[in-house]
Amino acid sequence: MPDSGAYIILGALLFAVGMVGFLARRNLIVMFLSTEIMLQGVLLNLVGFDRMYPSVDGQVFGLFVLVIAAVEAGLGLGLVVLLFRRKGTLDSEVWATMQG
Amino acid sequence: MTTGLVYILYVLFAAAGAAVLLAMPRPDGGYVRSGFVVGVGALAGLLALCSYTFMAPHASNIFFYFFAAVAVLAAGRVVTHPNPTYSAVYFGLVVLSVAVLLVMERAEFLAVALVIIYAGAILVTYAFVIMLAQQSGAAGPDVRSREPFMAVLVSFVVMGAIAGQVGEVNRLPANLPTVQTAPAVMADVPVGSKPTREVGNTLAVGQSMFDDYVVVVQLAGLLLLVAMVGAIAVSRKQIPVEEVGPPPPAPGTIGRQVPPF
Repeated sequence: MPDSGAYIILGALLFAVGMVGFLARRNLIVMFLSTEIMLQGVLLNLVGFDRMYPSVDGQVFGLFVLVIAAVEAGLGLGLVVLLFRRKGTLDSEVWATMQG
Repeated sequence: MTTGLVYILYVLFAAAGAAVLLAMPRPDGGYVRSGFVVGVGALAGLLALCSYTFMAPHASNIFFYFFAAVAVLAAGRVVTHPNPTYSAVYFGLVVLSVAVLLVMERAEFLAVALVIIYAGAILVTYAFVIMLAQQSGAAGPDVRSREPFMAVLVSFVVMGAIAGQVGEVNRLPANLPTVQTAPAVMADVPVGSKPTREVGNTLAVGQSMFDDYVVVVQLAGLLLLVAMVGAIAVSRKQIPVEEVGPPPPAPGTIGRQVPPF
């Protein structure tokens, strides 16, 4: 049975790098780019699992993940522009108004 | 994966986490070069572990290793570069590397769709937003990162634990029901007759999408429509009350102000 382990580990690595970027960076645009990197990791995972069975389900799932990513990028970047207009900076720390 | 190799995987994930931690932006400039060196070492170790443990025929190909390394290193640079424009460009490199890996997985349609949608549309949108949201000022949000050690710890421990479970799937019970779905390359002949030719990946994906997942396709279209309406509604400029122009003319008076010939 063909094995998909290499793709799983690669997907996990990309997901981890994206998660670090999302949690540690303060620039809103870089946070969004890190989210997209996480989605790339998920895509590699989905297509990697296709090797175990003779199916294209993983690729169809991946296509819908792509649709969701496009939708999220469009809406999210519109919100980023609005947030930038409000405060004049792309720093996400200016929105951290909950104390303690 | 056997127990000893799992611990090697954990150590390599920890080394990759240390590499990302070293390269994060700091006020004193950061240690990008040493982070890069440690990252390359951790990545080489992980790829060597993949080639040693997994019998995947594609994984023994040199292109898999090269583009996997490019994808992970570019993703690391997206996350650690202080300039968001460079982050967007490196993200384009990640997308292209993942597209090549998908082509090696015989998922050509998804690879081309990835390049068109991600590198073509989403990346251009990011470039426009970076242009629109130019910050003036030295002390921007990219001088310092926010709790980098905890972020690295959480991410790499979680994903290392998940990646360590790879290989456990070979011990699934034998009487698991087989999945009855379309193969990656299908023949377009009726069941029972000998297949005469193979169809490409696009046709197979299209057949699977419109035979099994028609409802999901309709929902995706609906989602796109709703998102389009929402994006336009969200981005409309709110005009304050003081800036409203002159009142519109009363009905019936439009055109009366123009003198006849």
